[in-house]
Amino acid sequence: MELTVTKKVKANILSTSISLVATIIILFVFLYLVGKDPFEVMQKMLTEVFGTGYGIGQAIFKATPLIICGCGLAFCFQASLFNIGAEGQLNLGVFVMSIVAYMFDDYLGIFILPIAVAIGFAVSAFWGFIPAYIKIKRGVSEVITTIMMNFISLALINYFLIEFLAVKSTVRTEKILDVISIPKLSVFSDYFEGSSANLTFFFAIALAAATYFIFYKTSFGYKLRAVGLNPKASRYLGINTNKMTVIAFMIGAGITSLVGLNFVFGYKGYYEYGFSNNLGFTAIAVTLLAKNNPIGIIFTALLFGIMDYGGLSVNTLVPKEIMLVFQALVILSILSFDRIIKIYYLKEK
Amino acid sequence: MNTSPIIEFKNISKKFGDFFANEEITFSILPNTVHSLIGENGAGKTTLMKILFGIYKQDSGHIYINGNPVSFKNPLDAIMNNIGMVHQHFELIDDFTALENIVLGDEESDYGFLNLNKSRKVLIDIIAKYNLGINLDEKVCNISISEKQKIELLKLLYRKSEILIFDEPTAVLSPIEVEEFFKIIRKFKEEGKTILLITHKLNEIKELSDSVTVLRKGKVVYEVGSDALDISVLSREIVGELETVIDLNIRGDVKSEEPYIELNNIVYKHEKASALNGVNLSVYGGQIYSICGVEGNGQSEIVDLIAGITRKSSGSIQMKYDGISLVPDDRLEKGMVKEFNTGENVLLRNNKSKYISSSKIYDTAKAVVDKYDVRLPALNAPLESLSGGNQQKVIFGREIELDNNIMVFVHPTRGVDINATAYIHKIILEQRNKGKAVLLVTSDLDEALKLSDKIGIIYKGLIGKEFTRNEFDESTDKRNRVLQNIGKAMIGVNSD
Repeated sequence: MELTVTKKVKANILSTSISLVATIIILFVFLYLVGKDPFEVMQKMLTEVFGTGYGIGQAIFKATPLIICGCGLAFCFQASLFNIGAEGQLNLGVFVMSIVAYMFDDYLGIFILPIAVAIGFAVSAFWGFIPAYIKIKRGVSEVITTIMMNFISLALINYFLIEFLAVKSTVRTEKILDVISIPKLSVFSDYFEGSSANLTFFFAIALAAATYFIFYKTSFGYKLRAVGLNPKASRYLGINTNKMTVIAFMIGAGITSLVGLNFVFGYKGYYEYGFSNNLGFTAIAVTLLAKNNPIGIIFTALLFGIMDYGGLSVNTLVPKEIMLVFQALVILSILSFDRIIKIYYLKEK
Repeated sequence: MNTSPIIEFKNISKKFGDFFANEEITFSILPNTVHSLIGENGAGKTTLMKILFGIYKQDSGHIYINGNPVSFKNPLDAIMNNIGMVHQHFELIDDFTALENIVLGDEESDYGFLNLNKSRKVLIDIIAKYNLGINLDEKVCNISISEKQKIELLKLLYRKSEILIFDEPTAVLSPIEVEEFFKIIRKFKEEGKTILLITHKLNEIKELSDSVTVLRKGKVVYEVGSDALDISVLSREIVGELETVIDLNIRGDVKSEEPYIELNNIVYKHEKASALNGVNLSVYGGQIYSICGVEGNGQSEIVDLIAGITRKSSGSIQMKYDGISLVPDDRLEKGMVKEFNTGENVLLRNNKSKYISSSKIYDTAKAVVDKYDVRLPALNAPLESLSGGNQQKVIFGREIELDNNIMVFVHPTRGVDINATAYIHKIILEQRNKGKAVLLVTSDLDEALKLSDKIGIIYKGLIGKEFTRNEFDESTDKRNRVLQNIGKAMIGVNSD
């Protein structure tokens, strides 16, 4: 009896690739209809991104938080918890993280980094715990609660920032000491000169690898996925599904706060209101496109990073909002092609 | 008879991957007959019916209805051609009433407004005609399985189906409900309808069928009319060769001193309705105790309590050992993660280490597959790609290997073919003889009689009558009377 590469794996790769191709074709047609030359736009974008180390660096910088946030979301999605609240969770975590960092950096120096990160992680995890708790106690869908929690989270930050913590006439916190910052890639190679890409990128890759290992190589990961695939059977198999829901939500939400490494410690040195720029929502697309597979998330996040920076670079030709259209199209096409592949390739109905 | 066939299958083939579910199937069905299609699970019966019904499309071959070639694109197409099917799993909306469920998709309306009363009149006539006794205003979530089946039936009658297909209709019914069902089928025939019955129960075939087609491994192997019907020939044709023969008389006296499972006066209330009303039950080591009864009388609640899925309202549960092995009733819903492969499904329940490697999955799968004779396309194939009987063997193997002293088997052989059934019975008996306490929940009385040391009859949340083996053993002359009493107890009639 031999092992076969399951058809499902092939189907996943197939549906992701077809979705991307379809999205690009639609985008081309769209550009053509608004009177632009799609090939010119594409060419400009590619040369801007790949022509210089700066371009590549910026794409990496944009991809890094998407990888991190995507891994967090994958924890929830694998357990069939549709967490729409990453935006709120990560903002709150990063906000607290940066406050802790600048308040105590004088005393603790470099040691404040792990402490601030741990506290930020805990705050985000707590923000993830609330919808999980409401779900298991009252059966309220996490989709509703997490969306609502986003508003609460951003309002809270706004209040504390403006009232107490912001540097005068800005919407940001005080800057942390430079010694605590995470080194930029340009420190190691002149190639990346000027770009904000930093070592957090490698941390993100390691995180994705670790997440992959947890999902597919540990007993816990199997249980997590089992709960996602068949919660009823999981209960009969002796898995505490409520506990799993809470754990998945807390770890997942906690991980989203780690994007603070990239922005606060690796780039600006402070928390700024609106820094995330809908990162928590974009990461949903990144994660879905990768079929919740952490290794896949690295690649889809890089793709989105390229599109994000590329979008900025062609802003003179087309508005950068075209990238939002791209993201929406990706989600729509992956959902439709999944279905089509299921029927015609896997012959399911 | 020189009438022409109402349905003809000609050279129908359907492949799933490399596997022929149907291979060159050719046979025909005459109008106004009861035609039985039998075969083991995985023999291709359901696939063929799904092709007829427009759910699957055949790879080659043709179907003719009244001599005209047809190819239904979807079930709606089939329904428009007066073909109706009652599936094994009912497709009803719980929060709708019986009436709403029946008319859904074919509603009567006045100027766009739903007019249920028009449909109600039609349905009341149908219900009276077939003596179905259904309350049209009851919500579907509140009614029994046999009533749900009747609602599915009413759907077909309401849509004026002339060809009725039933997929294992009696699997979920008690003996008395089966009798009732037979009456309805006979009435259909008097009305001139054509009935296609998918089953693997031989007594049903003998009682109802005008003609029989046997499928084995996707091919037609035997066809016979009611005049030449011989059950022993039929069973040989279905199975091919029987692989496991069990001797039920090998049962040592290994009964333990104390009960392993003891339920005292258990009351369980669920959404105001009381599901269990003071259940007392003791199962000893080295004993097979069967809970028999019509489905929905509290069996699943007892199992859920013992398994720790739900909590009782009052009463006490004593278990002599921690950890039970449980084969639940609905293997797809409760027993496995269908997207996971064999090894993963076993490790999910039976794994002591924190890490799971590919080789561990492989070894685990191999062990279960070899020991329990599981047949599967590939070792790492997802469990959903295995046949029902083989899925059940995996779940059985997993639970047996846990080696708990308490084992609970719920409808262990439902939808499982004859060979796998014999094999599963053998394992259950072995566990008993090893001194394990076995609680068997079944609605198949034959199964209970074959295996049990003691049978408890459950009715409306109460285990009333209990029967011990010396009462119903084949050697005793009182057996027939005891069997009658068991039948009565199942529907709540007091026996003498």
